[in-house]
Amino acid sequence: MRFSIQREVLLKPLTQVVGVVERKQALPVLANILISVQGDRVGFTGSDLEVELSANCIAEKTEDGEITVPARKLFDIVRALQDGSVIDVSVNAERVTIKAGKSRFTLSSLPANEFPTVDDIDVIERVSLSEASVKELLDRTAFAMAHQDVRYYLNGLLLDLRDGILRCVATDGHRLALCEAELELSVKTRRQLIIPRKGVLELQRLLDVGEGLVDLEFGKNHIRARRSDFVFTSKLIDGRFPDYEAVIPIGADKLVELPRDELRAALSRAAILSNEKYRGVKVEVSPGRLNISAHNPEQEEASEELEAKTIVDNLSIGFNVNYLMDALAALRGVNVMLCLRDGNSSCLVRDVENQRARHVVMPLRL
Amino acid sequence: MSQDVPRKIVHVDMDAFYASVEQRDDPSLRGKPVVVAWRGARSVVCAASYEARRYGVKSAMPAIRAERLCPDAVFVPPDFLRYRAVSRQTREIFSRHTDLIEPLSLDEAYLDVSVNKLSLPTATAVAEQIRAAIRDELNLTASAGVAPNKFLAKIASDWRKPDGQFVLRPHQVQAFLQPLPVARLPGVGKVTEAKLQGLGFSTVGDLAESPLEVLREAFGSYGQRLWELARGIDDHPVVVERPTQQISAEDTFAKDLLLDEFDDTLLALAEKVWSQAEREPDRVGRTVILKLKTQDFRLLTRSLTPLEPPSSAEVLGALALSLKSRVDLPERTRYRLAGVGLGHFVDRHELEVQGELFGLSSSR
Repeated sequence: MRFSIQREVLLKPLTQVVGVVERKQALPVLANILISVQGDRVGFTGSDLEVELSANCIAEKTEDGEITVPARKLFDIVRALQDGSVIDVSVNAERVTIKAGKSRFTLSSLPANEFPTVDDIDVIERVSLSEASVKELLDRTAFAMAHQDVRYYLNGLLLDLRDGILRCVATDGHRLALCEAELELSVKTRRQLIIPRKGVLELQRLLDVGEGLVDLEFGKNHIRARRSDFVFTSKLIDGRFPDYEAVIPIGADKLVELPRDELRAALSRAAILSNEKYRGVKVEVSPGRLNISAHNPEQEEASEELEAKTIVDNLSIGFNVNYLMDALAALRGVNVMLCLRDGNSSCLVRDVENQRARHVVMPLRL
Repeated sequence: MSQDVPRKIVHVDMDAFYASVEQRDDPSLRGKPVVVAWRGARSVVCAASYEARRYGVKSAMPAIRAERLCPDAVFVPPDFLRYRAVSRQTREIFSRHTDLIEPLSLDEAYLDVSVNKLSLPTATAVAEQIRAAIRDELNLTASAGVAPNKFLAKIASDWRKPDGQFVLRPHQVQAFLQPLPVARLPGVGKVTEAKLQGLGFSTVGDLAESPLEVLREAFGSYGQRLWELARGIDDHPVVVERPTQQISAEDTFAKDLLLDEFDDTLLALAEKVWSQAEREPDRVGRTVILKLKTQDFRLLTRSLTPLEPPSSAEVLGALALSLKSRVDLPERTRYRLAGVGLGHFVDRHELEVQGELFGLSSSR
């Protein structure tokens, strides 16, 4: 195995792959990345058994072959080399040699056949979306995923694949974020699968706002995302996501419309004096007006008054201010709508113009 | 604290508490010298019955010495669970009269009865009722001191011990204190006593007459305190027991185990912690703590504060187990001890309750 490559070309796939490699591994070989050369293409694969990423690039002076080398060290070396260096990588017995100008490094290796890769994921369904829309779906929902929740199925993102629509849903049990995108091709049957948190965060990191297509392949136990320069594979969470549609309020007919930016700014100011732990703010609605107030254990107080389009009177409800601000940050419209029922029921937050993205926030009993 | 209206402080001190509980619960021990102590070369006496005290046996003396002083004594190993249970019963009796209770240990407490719940006319009557209830309901005896402050109440409770009561009224304080040796003042140990003697102070009365500056010069800020104590002044308030801040349970394994080999123990510990937490239903623990000690005695703790405080032993156990994933030691590491804790307690009414989307409480 051998190849020659410019530092910057090599750095891109390495940076992507090294992010997947965990600092502590179940197997020693997982501290390594798999390098495989075939024709003029060099592939780099990192894995933690849950998430696997293969990124590739074009190289010169190639000789086919495969080997694994310590991921961190290779990455640190390449990163530390001079801009514009041409790097030669070759295998000598069981050692991998990296040469660039007058620098020379010899790294230990482990055989490629010890590296566990996911080869076939038994694709059940396949959809293509623009990279930007996949990224949008993730960016507008992933923040609501649970983290280390005992309800393990909440520590991930639901992909709900239905006729003509791909919907992403995340919830930590207190708030829920939903965003959907239209599909050009309809799918055979509705499918739900849950990508674990780490996979979601990695994929979010990989994707850009490009117009190119990303293929999503749904397997029985895996999901795979393909772009021309990488293949990303994640195990799925084996669990049933709660019936999220049942918690999207339908009886919330007390509507309040107001400019998103103004509401966000007022909330972030009030938040300064909310209880550090619970972040509680009180929202009071009266005709034409929305008031926000907060106080903390030191009895300091904040109060904000906003003009709003509403006929609702005498409604008071408490929220964790972070949940409201997260939801508003994930919306895109100029004006947002709060759909309320009473002080104890969940609130639906969405853009006024469309409901492609919906956020449900449970109240905080103050 | 205002000195204009004298406070009414009661110091209640159970008589030979652990030994008396043992004698109460085992009739064969009654009338005999009983020494509560562990067996062992280095153990000390936890308590001695009055029969044993006659031989010179005292608390905190080495058990071996006690055995030499009183060869006929019956040695009983301490059973703190039982003493704690009885101690709780005494606190329940105190709480009929006041909520201002400052326990000093299992067997003594200060009560501020300046205002008492039953509107008894005097603090003396409160102390009498408390002692009567302890006698009638618990079959034990207590001594009480009644005085305008904590320091005097404590001296007073010792005055008629056992099974006695002594009342110090504000106008009697000076006359009472004057002849006492300086060593009776709190904080005066052997060293301070010798120093005071050297300055010519042998009684509290001597101290009270001394100019404040002399004491300040010799003892710094403690000189001020000594001078005040000698004049019967003690503003320290009765500090209500700090409510539960943390509960934990731990277990040392018979042999060192790998991280994945003691889930059962963690769950059992979680249950133990939970059952203790449930005794105080008004307090809610928000932080779950996992404590581990490795084979080579490295101590590590991991903690987690979920938005929704743990609501059952099962949830606590599951959270404790989940904290294992945050242990970043090599997989082959062995552990000798594991503990589960619940901390960061707050009063239930202080808790802002975040609604659940998928819980029973959800409505839409």
